[in-house]
Amino acid sequence: MLDAGNALFRSRDSGGAPDARARAELLLAQMDAQGTTAMAVGARDLNLGVDFLRKQTRKSKLKLLSANLVDAKGTLLFPASTVVDVGGLKVGVVGASPATTQPEPMEPLAQGKAAGVMRQGLPVAPAVAAEAKRLRQKERVDLVVLLAAVPYDEVLKLANEVEGVDFVMQSHEGRGSGIPQRMAMTTIVPPGDRGRQLAKLELSISGPGRFVDNSEVARTRDGLRIVETNLAKARERLAKSTDEVQKRSLESAVASLEARRTALEKTVAGGATPAARTHLLSYIQLGSDVPADPAVQKAVERIEPPGSAAH
Amino acid sequence: MSFRPLRLAALALLLVPFVAGAAPKQLVLLFTGDNGGEIAPCG
Repeated sequence: MLDAGNALFRSRDSGGAPDARARAELLLAQMDAQGTTAMAVGARDLNLGVDFLRKQTRKSKLKLLSANLVDAKGTLLFPASTVVDVGGLKVGVVGASPATTQPEPMEPLAQGKAAGVMRQGLPVAPAVAAEAKRLRQKERVDLVVLLAAVPYDEVLKLANEVEGVDFVMQSHEGRGSGIPQRMAMTTIVPPGDRGRQLAKLELSISGPGRFVDNSEVARTRDGLRIVETNLAKARERLAKSTDEVQKRSLESAVASLEARRTALEKTVAGGATPAARTHLLSYIQLGSDVPADPAVQKAVERIEPPGSAAH
Repeated sequence: MSFRPLRLAALALLLVPFVAGAAPKQLVLLFTGDNGGEIAPCG
């Protein structure tokens, strides 16, 4: 279980809300209890400062990660990555935080700490590239996952430039769920948002190479079936047509559908060769049909009493 | 003439089906993100 970050606070300035600390504490405790291995430190996780996060996770198995968040001396404030052995595979997990244009206070100023203690988010791509390379060469991991709590446009850039990352799970804007996005160097997989779903990425590995999306092959087959149906209809209409203008238009449609069919057939043929690495993304919706854990429910109701205006 | 290379080749041929037929390793990653401080069902 992993978390792409921005888990703890509603917005960057909501750290002062009366229940903000209790919410963040409950979330970190529950993420640990539920076996979350690692979480990236996002902008919306830093509202109560770096010390708060460190203290809250000191005794937990949950690791907060950031390959680019540093103090004034340039020392990393959290580990850049962690390595997990799962099912005979070594998985390297890297965390990334947003790059900042200038140093920001390490702790909230309201706490009366010296504003002189600063932190900074270094440029994301070089930090991630270096850590992914280290994990591949030194730790000999089988795959690298990036928990990127950074703006989407920055992730797009990184996904076209940085080598050695298999999957990017991005958080920042709350983009929600979606389909995997294959980029030049990696695949971006949306993690969902607001605790409404659990993203599930099923991987199959029998050799090296890039991951192929199993759902893409299925989608292409569906597309091919639709094109073939439309092609048959267009040919039928063309055979019956006597009007010259309509005939020309239908001939053009048939030609275009035939070209599309050839392209899709080629893709399907390519997908018929079993890939050494495949992935399949799905979501488990956490709706009202999923029963709440009574102990967690009690803890939640202490912060958010039933019938309160929290939602 | 040494029979060692022949033996090695025979061994390699014997092993090929096992290597080729090795089941792929399966792994499921569960993940979340952008929870935004939510602690109760919403939406």
